[in-house]
Amino acid sequence: MNNVLDDQLDELYGYIEERCLWQFFSRSWDRQENIDGVLDQAARLLNGKGPARETPMDNLFYADAKILVADLRERFPWLEDAGEEEIRQLCDGLKGRLVDVVITRSKNRELNHHLY
Amino acid sequence: MSMCEIATAKVPEIKVAPKERGGIINPMYDCQPTGGQYAGIGIKDSIPLVHGGQGCSMFVRLLFAQHFKENFDIASTSLHEDSAVFGGHKRIEEGVMVLAKRYPDLRVIPIITTCSTEVIGDDVEGTIKKCYQALADELPGRELHLIPIHAPSFKGSHVTGYDEAMKAIVKTMAKKGEPTGKLNVFTGWINPGDLKELKHYFAEMGVAANFLMDIEDFDSPMLPNKAIETHGRTTVEDLQNTANAAASLALGRYEGASAAELLKKEHEVPSHVMNAPYGIGNTDAMLRRLSEITGKEIPESLVRERGIALDALADLAHMFFANKKVAIYGHPDLVLGLAQFCMEVELEPALLLLGDDKGGRYKKDPRIAELKKHVHWDMEIIHNADLWELEKRVKEGVEYDLILGHSKGRYIAIDAGIPMVRVGFPTFDRAGLYRKPTIGYRGAIELAENIANTLFAHMEYTHDREWILNTW
Amino acid sequence: MPMVLLECDKDIPERQRHIFLKTPEDDVRECLPIANVPTIPGSLSERGCAFCGAKLVIGGVLKDTIQMIHGPVGCAYDTWHTKRYPSDNGHFPLKYVWSTDMKEQHIVFGGEKRLEQSIHEAFDEMPDVKRMIVYTTCPTALIGDDVKAVVKKVMKERPDVDIFTVECPGFSGVSQSKGHHVLNIGWINEKVGTAEKEITSEYTINFIGDYNIQGDTFLLQKYWDRLGIQVISHFTGNGTYDDLRCMHQAKLNVVNCARSAGYIANELKKRHGIPRLDIDTWGFNYMAEGIRKVCAFFGIEERGEELIADEYAKWKPQLDWYKERLLGKKMAIWTGGPRLWHWTKSVEDDMGIEVVAMSSKFGHEEDFEKVVARGREGTYYIDDANELEFFEIIDLVKPDVIFTGPRVGELVKKLHIPYINGHAYHNGPYMGFEGFVNMARDIYNATHNPLAYLAGQDIRDPTPLVMPERLREVA
Repeated sequence: MNNVLDDQLDELYGYIEERCLWQFFSRSWDRQENIDGVLDQAARLLNGKGPARETPMDNLFYADAKILVADLRERFPWLEDAGEEEIRQLCDGLKGRLVDVVITRSKNRELNHHLY
Repeated sequence: MSMCEIATAKVPEIKVAPKERGGIINPMYDCQPTGGQYAGIGIKDSIPLVHGGQGCSMFVRLLFAQHFKENFDIASTSLHEDSAVFGGHKRIEEGVMVLAKRYPDLRVIPIITTCSTEVIGDDVEGTIKKCYQALADELPGRELHLIPIHAPSFKGSHVTGYDEAMKAIVKTMAKKGEPTGKLNVFTGWINPGDLKELKHYFAEMGVAANFLMDIEDFDSPMLPNKAIETHGRTTVEDLQNTANAAASLALGRYEGASAAELLKKEHEVPSHVMNAPYGIGNTDAMLRRLSEITGKEIPESLVRERGIALDALADLAHMFFANKKVAIYGHPDLVLGLAQFCMEVELEPALLLLGDDKGGRYKKDPRIAELKKHVHWDMEIIHNADLWELEKRVKEGVEYDLILGHSKGRYIAIDAGIPMVRVGFPTFDRAGLYRKPTIGYRGAIELAENIANTLFAHMEYTHDREWILNTW
Repeated sequence: MPMVLLECDKDIPERQRHIFLKTPEDDVRECLPIANVPTIPGSLSERGCAFCGAKLVIGGVLKDTIQMIHGPVGCAYDTWHTKRYPSDNGHFPLKYVWSTDMKEQHIVFGGEKRLEQSIHEAFDEMPDVKRMIVYTTCPTALIGDDVKAVVKKVMKERPDVDIFTVECPGFSGVSQSKGHHVLNIGWINEKVGTAEKEITSEYTINFIGDYNIQGDTFLLQKYWDRLGIQVISHFTGNGTYDDLRCMHQAKLNVVNCARSAGYIANELKKRHGIPRLDIDTWGFNYMAEGIRKVCAFFGIEERGEELIADEYAKWKPQLDWYKERLLGKKMAIWTGGPRLWHWTKSVEDDMGIEVVAMSSKFGHEEDFEKVVARGREGTYYIDDANELEFFEIIDLVKPDVIFTGPRVGELVKKLHIPYINGHAYHNGPYMGFEGFVNMARDIYNATHNPLAYLAGQDIRDPTPLVMPERLREVA
């Protein structure tokens, strides 16, 4: 990964960290589900593709992703110029970063409790 | 009511009975630990430690804050599940040590039990011995007084909890020494405004008193230096000297009288248990007794003060108060005192609610006997009562012209449109009442004028002969 | 060290694990304050008990439900007149509380008969009310009364009533939080799916974790009405017992307070496949975002945009007026938990206020993940703060206003710091657009108070006080 991409990831991650409640759901599996779901929808939207809207959960992730993408586009104009591959890399990078911070390295001792 | 009707009226029915239901809808009183905490915060350099769940102190602190608009320091042993299984005495030991270390000026820790720790059966007295040992080991030379106060919530009420706590405090702390020549004054559960009034009487009479507890600073200032002075003023020495007083005066029969009786039994301090000084007659009796005990004469100044009160009451009684039916609820000493006061100003107490299960002792209360003698209308005295007893009667059409009680019954008055004067504890929905006296001559003036102004405002809002006040 | 040992805590050094100072140098994820662990006895913590978490916070809000507290009278007395949650049927939740008034003989011989009697009495006295929640308390749990058996018996005898049992004595868990959990899980296990209501819109939600403080629910309901969204249940602001039995019928769970009610949203997702959408309802930016998300879920974005545009046009100028005057004010938030992360960024973005210290009574580590992610650097993040810590933190951060409860409010008043009721509000509601203007107004009034200047004056000081000119302006 190059430095530019790293800087771009920092910017996007900084925004998500401060803004998005879905990354902080109660359990690891909820967080993983949200990270994947929202960022997959975000990638589709950023690439100009229609969102998946088959299931209730699709609609949920779309709702979160739609607002997220609108905000990111407004704040980070360079996203307009990003190609499909770059978007994919960014979204994968974001997923990795989020999983690392809010799941893998999270100090939250309740994350893996098998019950809610 | 015309004179003819009075002549033919039936003999008034005066009922004294417990409420018929077992459960409670809208309680009048809190539980015993609340009374223990109220006694405990009256001591200087004291932080009560409540041995129970955290709610047992957190909500009581909130209650005091609501009433006095002040913060009071009260700690909890924060009983959790493991203590419920294995006993909670370790939590006391830890709590005492944490308080001792973090509050170097602390001299007293009243340790107050609750329902949970009484059911678990924690040995508080035994634990206190361990605490003293631990303190001697870890903080040698540190003076700290630990007072066990048993306050199981499933007995009595916050009123009996207060009485028990006063007794426990005196029992633990009283220490025979040189006579002080002072009077122990068990004030009962009163407000800072009341205590100032008492101090004024004792000053006028030239009598030195040891007020238990001295809560004058429960109304404390905002100071330029930001000092926080919200605390009791009764010191360790004051408590020890309760054994060395010339006599004890308990102003009220259920709020500190046990402590006076204990001092009599254990330290031969003569005990004078009296009616709480609500109204003119009770205040007269207090001053006469004071004079008898000390041999000091009642000064001219108090004769004049009394006269001012009568002068104020006379403007109100037969013109505005006569024939008005009153419902009263709250602490027993207060309710009975207010009923006596009502009789003095031609108000007609028709319903008295006493909110605990001490029915037996009310049967012997001289104030009830006195009321029975003089009342010429139907009157109900319900003990073990809740506020639904009042609400239900109102809903069923019993008419009251005035409610005297604390803020917990506010919605009965609001919904039924009955004028209500806040009095007692707690009175969080009116500003500054804790600052004003209810006892003594000035208390009688405050009460009467508050009642009058409340009735006047009600007349105006409801357009009920408001024109009477066009000229007065 | 980002984890801070305060001077007042030198004798209870374990407190260091609960106090975090966010700095630019440290990776904050390495330093999450530890939370939801037992309180140190004698530390003068601010925590309440599990029972109150169930009764006072959640169950007691319901506007058609008898709150029968099986225990000594204090548990009922103390969880009455301590909240500001009105209802549209004459404020039933504020007016009444019920207790079995347990006495010594019930402790010795068992309290089941007393409970049964009290339940019947309560229904008899208020024949229009048909729903009840029964709560256990410390002593009834300790003596082992079989509350559920009693409830079952009564429901058999009275087929028109429905009763829910919450077994959550005050000593369980470490704070109010345990009570939230017990009520949430009990409700989904026993009551969700036992009633069906008429569906009047294709857009249906449960609104979860809002307790109608000073009318929050009423205010938000105007938005849902305008959007054409049917709220199946409010958990539990201005809510009804039977609506909560129908939670399974909603298409979306919109969650505000994730701490007190995240559990039921999670279970509704797991068991009924209803997605959980967390939003913030305090703040312009946040509220707009929340509305946009709900509308995007249902595909009714235009309605949402119209609503937001109208609300902004109406309220934003007022908010901006306050923002201009509140810029740079320092605020502390000492409340339950979630309001820390709901508010820290929204008061910063919408009002220009810096939140400099935050303390949570019953938050979990999840709440601290959220608040540390959103909060400022240089700010203290504290779990279960105690009184001496408050004093020390005040010295360190010197707040202009503190959002906390009325008792601590009285304490900080002596230090000449104004407080605003962070639980029950001063003059709310505070949610939504209009609500946030209310909050800004309350902060303005608190921080522009002539008394603060007068309090600082010592009349023995020969230099008289000079009050700032035009301290207060017309809003």
